[in-house]
Amino acid sequence: MLNQMTGGEKMENKKSLWSFNFSTMALVLIPVSIGINYVGKLFAQTLKLPLWLDSIGTILAGILAGPWVGAISGGINNIIYGLTVSPVSFAYGITSIAIGIVAGLMARMGFLKNTKRAFLMGLAIVGVATVVSTPINIIFWGGQTGNIWGDALFGFLRSQNWPVWLASGLDELVVDLPDKIATTLIAFAIYKGLPKRIIILFDE
Amino acid sequence: MSKVIIKNLSYQYPLGDENALEDISLKINKGDFLGIVGPNKAGKSTLCKSLVGLVPHFYNGDFSGEILIDDLNTKNHSISQISLKVGLVFQNPFNQISGAKLTVYDEVAFGLENIGLPREKMIERIDYYLKLMDIYDQRASNPFEISGGQMQRLAIASIMAREPDVFVLDEPTSQLDPQGSKEVFNAIHKLSQKDLTVIIVSQKMERLAKYTDNILLLNQGRVIDYDKKEKIFARDDLEELGVRPPIYTEIARKMNLKNDKSYYPINRKKLTDLVVKKYGQNFSK
Amino acid sequence: MRSISLYVDKDSLIHKIDPITKLIYTFVSVISPFIIPTILVSSIFVAVNMIILTLGKVFKKVIPIISFVFFIIITIFIIQGMFYGGNSTELFSVFSLTFYVEGLFYALRIALRAINILLTFSIIILTVKPSILIESLVRRGLPPKLGYVMHSVLQIIPMMSSTANTIMDAQKSRGMETEGNLWIRMKAFIPLIGPLVMNSLVSTHERSIALEVRSFSAKTQKTFLNEEKIPAAMKYLRLVIILIFIAIVVWRVVL
Repeated sequence: MLNQMTGGEKMENKKSLWSFNFSTMALVLIPVSIGINYVGKLFAQTLKLPLWLDSIGTILAGILAGPWVGAISGGINNIIYGLTVSPVSFAYGITSIAIGIVAGLMARMGFLKNTKRAFLMGLAIVGVATVVSTPINIIFWGGQTGNIWGDALFGFLRSQNWPVWLASGLDELVVDLPDKIATTLIAFAIYKGLPKRIIILFDE
Repeated sequence: MSKVIIKNLSYQYPLGDENALEDISLKINKGDFLGIVGPNKAGKSTLCKSLVGLVPHFYNGDFSGEILIDDLNTKNHSISQISLKVGLVFQNPFNQISGAKLTVYDEVAFGLENIGLPREKMIERIDYYLKLMDIYDQRASNPFEISGGQMQRLAIASIMAREPDVFVLDEPTSQLDPQGSKEVFNAIHKLSQKDLTVIIVSQKMERLAKYTDNILLLNQGRVIDYDKKEKIFARDDLEELGVRPPIYTEIARKMNLKNDKSYYPINRKKLTDLVVKKYGQNFSK
Repeated sequence: MRSISLYVDKDSLIHKIDPITKLIYTFVSVISPFIIPTILVSSIFVAVNMIILTLGKVFKKVIPIISFVFFIIITIFIIQGMFYGGNSTELFSVFSLTFYVEGLFYALRIALRAINILLTFSIIILTVKPSILIESLVRRGLPPKLGYVMHSVLQIIPMMSSTANTIMDAQKSRGMETEGNLWIRMKAFIPLIGPLVMNSLVSTHERSIALEVRSFSAKTQKTFLNEEKIPAAMKYLRLVIILIFIAIVVWRVVL
């Protein structure tokens, strides 16, 4: 007597990696994820942690609603900051978008099954963030990142005549490695703690 | 004369292990003021969500039976379309503020811009409903910075400005203080004076006893009873069914005071009149 | 409620210019120094932007925005001055550190370009109300749902940050460690962010319902409560800006 309603049979684990999900839940998630980014940074500052922790929301958006939503969440995060607080954010919008995409794709590929896999996802995010940010750093800042330790490394490597792209890449890596791994693991821990009835609302 | 016809409605949420609604059939007439009561998990919220199409369109799940609002079958229309006929207000006033508008006035406009209402008509309706809900003075305030009672009245104004024929309210005062609660019920009472069909879920039995015409008693997804409020509140098994009767009815039951139609009185005046009739002047106020 | 926007409400000539014109100008002012990457072009735009900001009576407010990058620019001068790849002409030495002309010039180009970008965007940041900007874009084809998302970010951030402060106070009164070694402080993070995320996902759910029952997903053409009034003169202003840009592109191609 009971039949499935509306379009799209929900098939477990067979979602295509790239399927669209622009339901209202996904859209409302976007500003909320940007708020989580903001609050993450706020808590990190209050606790005086040596980490940015300002991408937790973007990664959660990707995990919950897929790569497209993760991408838009990351992009709008930087656009809004760029338009209201600091234009520097604009340039790094591409990095945020990339992080959202990777989080969404890898979540759908099953990298949230356990902590080890989540760690690998963190590494992937570090890699992507570094690769995407480095050209931006070079164009805008001659290769620097604004982080004391990273830039000290950059200066040192350049003094030893290492190529700009490599020195800059390592500068960015020094900044991203601890921060993005921590961010990913925190997002993973939060996700694991969410009740299924909430997670299912974001499925398409 | 039937505004809402529900036929054999059954529903199970996607992660559910049992039906939230089990074979519900009933009719609601135009202009009725219906109260829905029942314990937790009775299906009250689910029924509200079904009336506006959230079940099944938002939640998916297993849905069978049908709901007809006039001629509109909720299965075959989108939530956007159904919500032109059926409005919904729920518990948390905060979460009903869109977040996209910076003033109370603009907030009401949100639901009107979405349906392409012309500007002049929008202004007419916003002015009217803000005044009706007694929040016209707050029209320039940020919608997140008003009191709980005002916020809920804003939610009501935002929905009513779209002029639906049916208005569903799911525990609209549970998160409000007594003052806010009173304000909201007054507002709902004002609205019910017109041709509006009002359906309200509430635990505030005294208020339901005061304002409603009929009561629907639900338990574990099924209809237990559906009748005039005097009859429902006269039932002796309300407590067993997880419903606290209105206090005046309870007192009357304990004192074994029935009126001429054999029901217990449902408000203070009727109770005091009966007490005076039975025990003499000494008990009157 | 504190908004996250830095918009300053003043009655100035610049405030009267509509957001779309400003967006066009922003594009031209940011891209041109990349098309002709000389110190001269960057300096001209920096000067023009400073004039615009002064006319807009918001120049003082730019200082916090610029100070963001002050430090990194100093370090860029130091590092590029010493280690830029094309260094050959020594300018001066301090202790045993040698600074070269080419590196310092490179740093100057970077600094000017960065400051130009900051000043250009400051025009939008300080003289355009974000909600008006977003609405202008929606009128011209930005999907309304995307417009909704951008609008709500502006309100949701201050809301969540005041919820965050409440949570922090509550946790502090329960003995949350904000001092102590790194590990202790890191452990305190999840009990702070976990409840906040849970809370905000519940409100996401309920808010989605609230939007749906106000026809958020309707396919009808949307109308606007506010009226848009753009002075006719803006058309000419936009034309001038576009012509300047074309001139710059031509200059680069021809020379």
